[in-house]
Order: sequence, then structure tokens, then C-alpha cells
Amino acid sequence: MGIKGPTTEQLLDMYAAMWRIRLFEEQAEYQSGQGKVLGALHTYIGQEAVGVGICAHLTDADYITSTHRGHGHCISKGADVRRMMAELFGRVTGYCKGKGGSMHIADFAVGMLGANGIVAGGFGLATGAGLAAQVRESGQVAVCFFGDGAVNRGPFHENINLGAVWRLPVVYVCENNQYAQWTPQEEITLVTDVASMSSAYGIPGAQVDGMDVLSVYQAAGEAVDRARRGEGPTLLECKTYRFHGHNFGDPQQYRTKEEISDWSGQHDPIQGLGDHLQREGVLTAEEAESIRNSVQEEIAGAVRFADESPYPGPEELTRDVFSTPVA
Amino acid sequence: MLGTMYSILSPGGNVQSGARIPSLALDQQLHLYRLMCLNRRVDDQMIRLQRQGRLGFYVGSQGEEAAIIGSAFALEPRDWVVPCYRELGAALVKGFPLIDLFSQFFGNSRDLTKGRQMPNHYANHDLRVTSISSPVGSQIPHAIGLALGARLAGNDDVALVYFGDGATSQGDFHVATNFAGVFKTPTILFCRNNQWAISVPVESQTASRNMAVKATAYGIEGVRVDGNDIFAVYDVTSKAVAKARRGEGPTLIEAVTYRRGGHSTSDDPNSYRDDAEVEPWIERDPILRFRLYLTRQGHWDDDKEQALEDEVRATIRNSLDEAFRSGPPSLDTVFEDVYDEMPWHLREQMESVCTPEEFQTVEQGT
Ligand SMILES: Cc1ncc(C[n+]2csc(CCOP(=O)(O)OP(=O)(O)O)c2C)c(N)n1
Ligand SMILES: Cc1ncc(C[n+]2csc(CCOP(=O)(O)OP(=O)(O)O)c2C)c(N)n1
Ligand SMILES: [Mg+2]
Ligand SMILES: [Mg+2]
Repeated sequence: MGIKGPTTEQLLDMYAAMWRIRLFEEQAEYQSGQGKVLGALHTYIGQEAVGVGICAHLTDADYITSTHRGHGHCISKGADVRRMMAELFGRVTGYCKGKGGSMHIADFAVGMLGANGIVAGGFGLATGAGLAAQVRESGQVAVCFFGDGAVNRGPFHENINLGAVWRLPVVYVCENNQYAQWTPQEEITLVTDVASMSSAYGIPGAQVDGMDVLSVYQAAGEAVDRARRGEGPTLLECKTYRFHGHNFGDPQQYRTKEEISDWSGQHDPIQGLGDHLQREGVLTAEEAESIRNSVQEEIAGAVRFADESPYPGPEELTRDVFSTPVA
Repeated sequence: MLGTMYSILSPGGNVQSGARIPSLALDQQLHLYRLMCLNRRVDDQMIRLQRQGRLGFYVGSQGEEAAIIGSAFALEPRDWVVPCYRELGAALVKGFPLIDLFSQFFGNSRDLTKGRQMPNHYANHDLRVTSISSPVGSQIPHAIGLALGARLAGNDDVALVYFGDGATSQGDFHVATNFAGVFKTPTILFCRNNQWAISVPVESQTASRNMAVKATAYGIEGVRVDGNDIFAVYDVTSKAVAKARRGEGPTLIEAVTYRRGGHSTSDDPNSYRDDAEVEPWIERDPILRFRLYLTRQGHWDDDKEQALEDEVRATIRNSLDEAFRSGPPSLDTVFEDVYDEMPWHLREQMESVCTPEEFQTVEQGT
């Protein structure tokens, strides 16, 4: 056992990636308020350690599937924030030429198989990707990200069962942020420790503090290695919390301000890693600041890129639907 | 192969040490025994008729009679049986008349479902037996809904739903069981683990240790019982029914049994499994086990067996004759039960087709 690393370089990359997600999302919310973002927006703020800690073990050849809360997964897997922002703005330079929006960003070049507006929509894709990897003996791994709400849907069950019986190289990652939209988890699920459900499927389960990127990194390393060795899937539960509403504009009457500030004040994953790195002498406060600033520049560049890009023309309406264009 | 499971009778019909026979009067025991024999005979007969080309399709339950009949017997008449498609025995427990079952199989004019369903898809809402629901697993949410409905209506009826080992891999199983657990619906989730889903053996169906363990994911109780032991099945189901009635929520019961015949009359199990696998299950036969027990208790002998055999044969024969005497449903029934008031375009269609009398003549002429 024992997962090596992360190396200093990886630690700094993870730190930057978490900031990239945070600042991207803050900008996205700001721009949404300005009327620039078309369609719904679900931010990953608070959950950065999960996507980042897990994707640190993956290469571009490995696959991930995502959710309606997908920006963090995209960024963790190495997607381009400029094309992401352009997609949110509905511009032709976006990942879907501005026709998909926040919940449809995919980047096959980096193994990101797509966000998904359907709760639990990623299970079949990830399991299928795992099957493809197994059949081709390619050594690739697929990671399926999903929320605590998705646990209650059929695809969770069908795919984990199949992944287990076929020993597919898939890691099923539950981001348990304790709410499905406005519904607290315990109102719709009796077994709130999702990892413990693994025993019903005959696969290992692991539960980690999803606010601590190093814990996530460690557990994910074991699960990804297991999958790569051909020993089948793991159900990995990351206990986490979203600091903002379910979507931008959510009045959040289902939880208290104190609960939110407890989590964001005491469990902020970025601050957690920053403090750790400074304690370990890996990073000075100034260096931390400069990482943040350079990411901020990057995001500002993404907004400029999006702003300056044109909207898709009417000719785009019938493109990318059928492989043979409609006459 | 079998793992640990609750049992009362050994395969040889002896009471396991420390086990207690559930309190069932002798006439109840003999009634159960008769129903198991009737179930087996009906199956044999229907499969023969299908092979003769006189019946379109049939699903038998050879070897699973104790699981099906023992569980249904734990219900009150007002409780719901929500079958899968292999629970003729539960319908018999509920008092479903043979003539109604046969009429459905042949789709004749006496068929309660008016010949509109596939054979073997019987239903009788007065008896609280819902329609056979052949999309695998689709009946499980129905049962949860019935149970929730009963509670909302303020009564303590329960719903017992049957499904196979294969059905546990369906999303419907998952969402329904989760819902039952969260809302504590008075439901008994009865899984017949007969080791096969058509040609898929249970080892390829799931990596789970067994079916009962699946209950842990939903925070509900899971029980594993010898499905070929009528007393054990009756006992665990009675407890689950009582618990549901008290408002203490659902139970998942796994009855460990074996599908000895083909999946249905459309299946040939020889193409995917060895006879050698079936053999030990003939020794574990649920009817034989019960008979050995009854005999040992002094309640049964060869004469009684012969008399029962004759009676069951005659009963089936009489109902079959009656079913064969009935012609097809009249053509105008095709237009019923869709609209409360028939719209003009349907009326036009109905009047444009031949009269019911003509229809029957046409049928007999072909
Ligand atoms: C099949 C389906 N049902 C309902 C919705 C509406 N919906 C969107 S997000 C959501 C909650 C999902 O909760 P969870 O899986 O915990 O993810 P989280 O939002 O917490 O990240 C719901 C119900 C949907 N998109 N798809
Ligand atoms: C949704 C769906 N998929 C496939 C089928 C075809 N099918 C009919 S029965 C069956 C196997 C079910 O096996 P199991 O649940 O173990 O019940 P058993 O037949 O063994 O009693 C299948 C695959 C179907 N009817 N419905
Ligand atoms: Mg959630
Ligand atoms: Mg089966």
C-alpha cells in the first residue's frame, strides 16, 4: 500500500488548480449577474479538493465523466478555461460552439467525456469507457463523479453492479455535499455514508474528508491503482460541502448561514492546502499570493477571450447534430 | 453454493435441531401441500399444451413452489400480491380460480383481461393480485406505491412484491427499495433467487455476496431463507408482514431456490447449462421435502397422495374443458375500456368491422 507523492511540483500544481477552479467559478457567477452567462450555473466552490485530488492521478488518456456541477472536473482534467468561459457566454469559440452551455462541456482531448444535465447521467458513460479500456487492454482508467443525490437513481445501482461483476477499471467517486438541490441527504437516503454501500455490491469502499486534498489524493491513488491493476472498481466517497447555492441565484432557505460559514470558514480546501504548504516550508505567503494572482490573470484572460468572441451564426443551428449535415 | 440461510426442514423433511415449526393448523398444512401439487401439475399441463401448439406461451415455476406459496400464504386476503411472472402459486393462494387463469392463458371470452394480454399475464384486482409485469423489475415500484397508498388511506394493508435475482440488477429495484426504506412503506420485497436470469447465472449477475446483503445499501433488513422449505419461507415472510403492518417498514427477503425448468416455453436451458447442475435440486425438491415431513408426522401416505393426485388432475381437466368451450372475445370488446364515452372515430371503426357473430364465424372458418 501507500501511495507515493504527491511531489512538490504536484502539490503546487494542485494548489494552482484549486485556485483556477475557485476563481473561474467566482468570475462565472459575477458574469452571470452581469447577464453574460447564458443558462443555469452550478458552481464547484468548496469542492475543489475532490476533482483536483483525484485527477492528479490521471493522464489525458484516462477518462472522467462529470455532472451538472462540472467546471471543477473540467479544470482538474486540464480543460482550457478560455474555451470553457466562451461556452458559458454562448460564443462560437466555446467547447460546444456556444450551443451547449455550462452543463455540456466536454473535452475528449484531455479525456473529459462531458458534463451532464441528467443527474446520474455519467454512470453509463464511465462504465462504458471502463469496458472499452478493459476490452482494449489499454490500461486506461475511468472516473465517474456524481453527487449524493445521484446515489438514489437507477444508473448508480445498475452501473456499479455491472462494473463490479465485470471488474472494470472504474472509480466511482461520490461527492457527498449533503444536499441534492434543496433536499438534505438524510431525507432521501437512509445510509448517509455512501461508501458503506459498497459492501452491497461486493467492492471496496473508502470514505475521505473531501475538504482535504491530501486525503483525497491518497485514497484516489489507491482506487486508481487498483483499477489499473485490473482488480475492479472502488466506491470512493468524499465528504464535502458546496459553499454557494445549488445554482447561481438559489436563496438557500434550506440551510442556515451558520452552517455555511462553519464549512467555508473552517474547512476551505484551498486555505487548508495553502496553510499546509506554508507550514511545510514548500511555499511562502508571497509565493502563494503570486500563484493566486497569476491564476486570476488567466481567468481575466478567459473572460476577455469570451467577451471578444462572436456568437454562433444561424448556420450553426443544424451543424453537429447528424454526422451527415442536414441539407 | 448455498451459503447460510434460515431453514426449518432439512432436505430430507426432518426438523432441523433447534428449529420450530410455525403454528399452522393441520388443515392449513395440507392446503399448502395441495396448492404446491396443483401448481406443479398446472405447470406440467400448460407446458404440454404449449408444446402441442394449443397455448402460445407459458412460464413455469417447477422447484420454486415453496418460495412462492409459502410467502403468499403469509398474507391476508386484503393484502396485495404484486407478481413478476413466475408466481402462479401466489395467485392460487389468493384464490384465483383456475378457470380465470386458463381463460387468460387462452385469451377467451371469459378472460378478465379480455384477451388483450400476452398469455400468462393474468390479473385480478378484486383478489388484489396486480397484473403480471414482465419488464424485469418494473413491478417493484408499483408495490411500493400500493403500500404507500394503503398507509395514506389509513389502513394497514401490506404489499408483497416478487422478483428474481436478475431483477435486482435493475434501476427499478434500487429506486424502489430506497424509497421503501426512506418512507418506511409496508412492503415485503421478495426475491426468488433461482440462480438464473434466463441464461445468465447469478455469479455473472452481480458481485454481491448474495441478494439479501443488498438490503444494507438501503438501511433495511435483509433475510436469507431456504426457498425450498415451505415452513421457513412462511415463517420469515409472516414476520416481515407483521413488521410491515406495525409500521416498521420493509424487509428484503432472499429465497434461495432453483429454476429447474426452462425460463419459459420459449427457452431451452440445455443450450447453456448442464443437467448435472440441476440434479442436486431434484433432491432438494420442495414438494418432496414437505411430503416427507407430513408422512413422518403420520399425516400422509401413499393412498392420500394418490387421492390428491386424482383430485388435482380432475380439477385441472374440468377447468380446462370449460376454458376450451369458450370462444374468443367478441370483436367489439377491442373498442372498450379506452374512453369513457366512445369518440366518433372509434364508433365508426367499430361499425365498419363485422358483427361479433360474423367475427366468430370467420375465426372458426380459418
Ligand atoms: C434525472 C434528473 N432529475 C432531476 C434533475 C434536477 N436536478 C438537477 S441537480 C439536482 C440535484 C443533484 O444533487 P446531487 O447529485 O447531490 O449533486 P449536487 O448538486 O449536490 O452536486 C436535481 C434534482 C435532473 N437534472 N435530472
Ligand atoms: C427490462 C427487461 N429486460 C429484459 C427482459 C427479458 N427478460 C425477461 S425475464 C428475464 C430474466 C429475469 O431473471 P430473474 O429476475 O432472475 O427472474 P426469473 O426469470 O429467474 O424468475 C429477462 C432478461 C425483460 N422482460 N425486461
Ligand atoms: Mg449533493
Ligand atoms: Mg432468476
